[in-house]
Amino acid sequence: MSIRHAILGLLANGPRHGYDLRATYQDDLVRAGKLNIGQVYTTLDRLERDGFVEHERVVGAEGRDKKVYALTAHGRAELDRWIAGPSPMPLDLRNEVFLKIAIARRIEGVDPQDVIERERRACFERLHEVTQARARAQGVAVEDELLLDLAVLRLKAFLKWLDHCEEKLS
Amino acid sequence: MNVAKGVAVEVTGLTKVFGEGDTRVEALRGIDLVVAPGEFVAVMGASGSGKSTLLHTIGALEPPTKGDVRIGGRSLGTLDDDALTVLRRRQIGFVFQAFNLVQVLTAEENVALPLVIDGLPEREANARAAEALALVSLTPRRAHLPGELSGGEQQRVAIARALVTNPVLLLVDEPTGNLDSRAGEMVMALLRSLADEQDHTIVMVTHDAGDAAMADRLVRLRDGIVLDDQTLPRGRAAAELLSEDPS
Ligand SMILES: Nc1ncnc2c1ncn2[C@@H]1O[C@H](COP(=O)(O)OP(=O)(O)O)[C@@H](O)[C@H]1O
Ligand SMILES: [Mg+2]
Repeated sequence: MSIRHAILGLLANGPRHGYDLRATYQDDLVRAGKLNIGQVYTTLDRLERDGFVEHERVVGAEGRDKKVYALTAHGRAELDRWIAGPSPMPLDLRNEVFLKIAIARRIEGVDPQDVIERERRACFERLHEVTQARARAQGVAVEDELLLDLAVLRLKAFLKWLDHCEEKLS
Repeated sequence: MNVAKGVAVEVTGLTKVFGEGDTRVEALRGIDLVVAPGEFVAVMGASGSGKSTLLHTIGALEPPTKGDVRIGGRSLGTLDDDALTVLRRRQIGFVFQAFNLVQVLTAEENVALPLVIDGLPEREANARAAEALALVSLTPRRAHLPGELSGGEQQRVAIARALVTNPVLLLVDEPTGNLDSRAGEMVMALLRSLADEQDHTIVMVTHDAGDAAMADRLVRLRDGIVLDDQTLPRGRAAAELLSEDPS
């Protein structure tokens, strides 16, 4: 995921300072990802070096100096290019469950079907957790709903894959 | 959940055979299942695994070939046809994939129907139907015919009809099978809230993993036998899941 472009995106509606960017990123945009303030400033420095953002020193409420960052025209063009372009779709085929099944097939006396069965139960517990949370959460923001939907559909796909594994290895 | 003690449904050694000779099918081959009051149980399995047959046998729509079904402690095998009819009408609420509403009756009349058939005065039946429709958030649609309602609304009317007799048991067969995903989600959220807030005992049959995962317990069938019986632990709230660290 591109933290760079997230930051450009957060600057699209006006200048902001580093702590503010970090808070919005973590509490609103990517709640499942932590971003430390060091990463924010490193990213801003690089964006500035590339001419995508510029900063201005402003005296804050407590009399302290703050850097406020703004999107440049060049930065806006980069943001538009990123939004318009397709994202990489990593297949991410390093999968722990697959690894267990494959290892089980190679070891005498370990049944890959037992692995599949246990993983299926675990997957159902997880799916239960997400579908329940979604059904019980009243007035969830639409973006949160979309993320929970993503989790549900992935888990359902994974359950289907486990069924395939069971069938093909029987 | 599981507030009341005791047993809502008890199935022992249940076998169901259809046909004979060449056409003989063993739909259920020795099922044991105990459902506690207030439990929400999903029965999952591939098409043809015996899910509907199990539901119909629990609901006294089909007699078992062998074995026993007890509802609220009473063995169905000891009841005559009249007693079974009364049990189906008063103790059990059915919800089917195809809604099964009467097309020439309004939503409210459909919901009132089980009470009217049971001999309740029409005014009282309609009042209770109105309450049941409110429970499924369909009060504004009460005068509509089924043909004027969306699939999701029709299924919610069917759920209201199943609830109107205040049954001890809701039997639900593929409730989202004829619905698009959004309407299906609403119906599932409704069933979930009936279990959470009204302590209804629900046995729901489905082949959809997402729907099954809404229940508190998952029974998986294969070829007419119970393959697995899994209690699903109560998990965390949405906010926690959304901020879960991926590593
Ligand atoms: N009334 C019936 N007559 C003959 N066979 C039936 C009847 N009902 C169900 N079956 C058979 O019993 C098996 C289980 O069916 P069913 O309970 O409908 O499965 P599911 O609901 O899991 O798809 C299937 O092989 C089906 O063909
Ligand atoms: Mg069926």
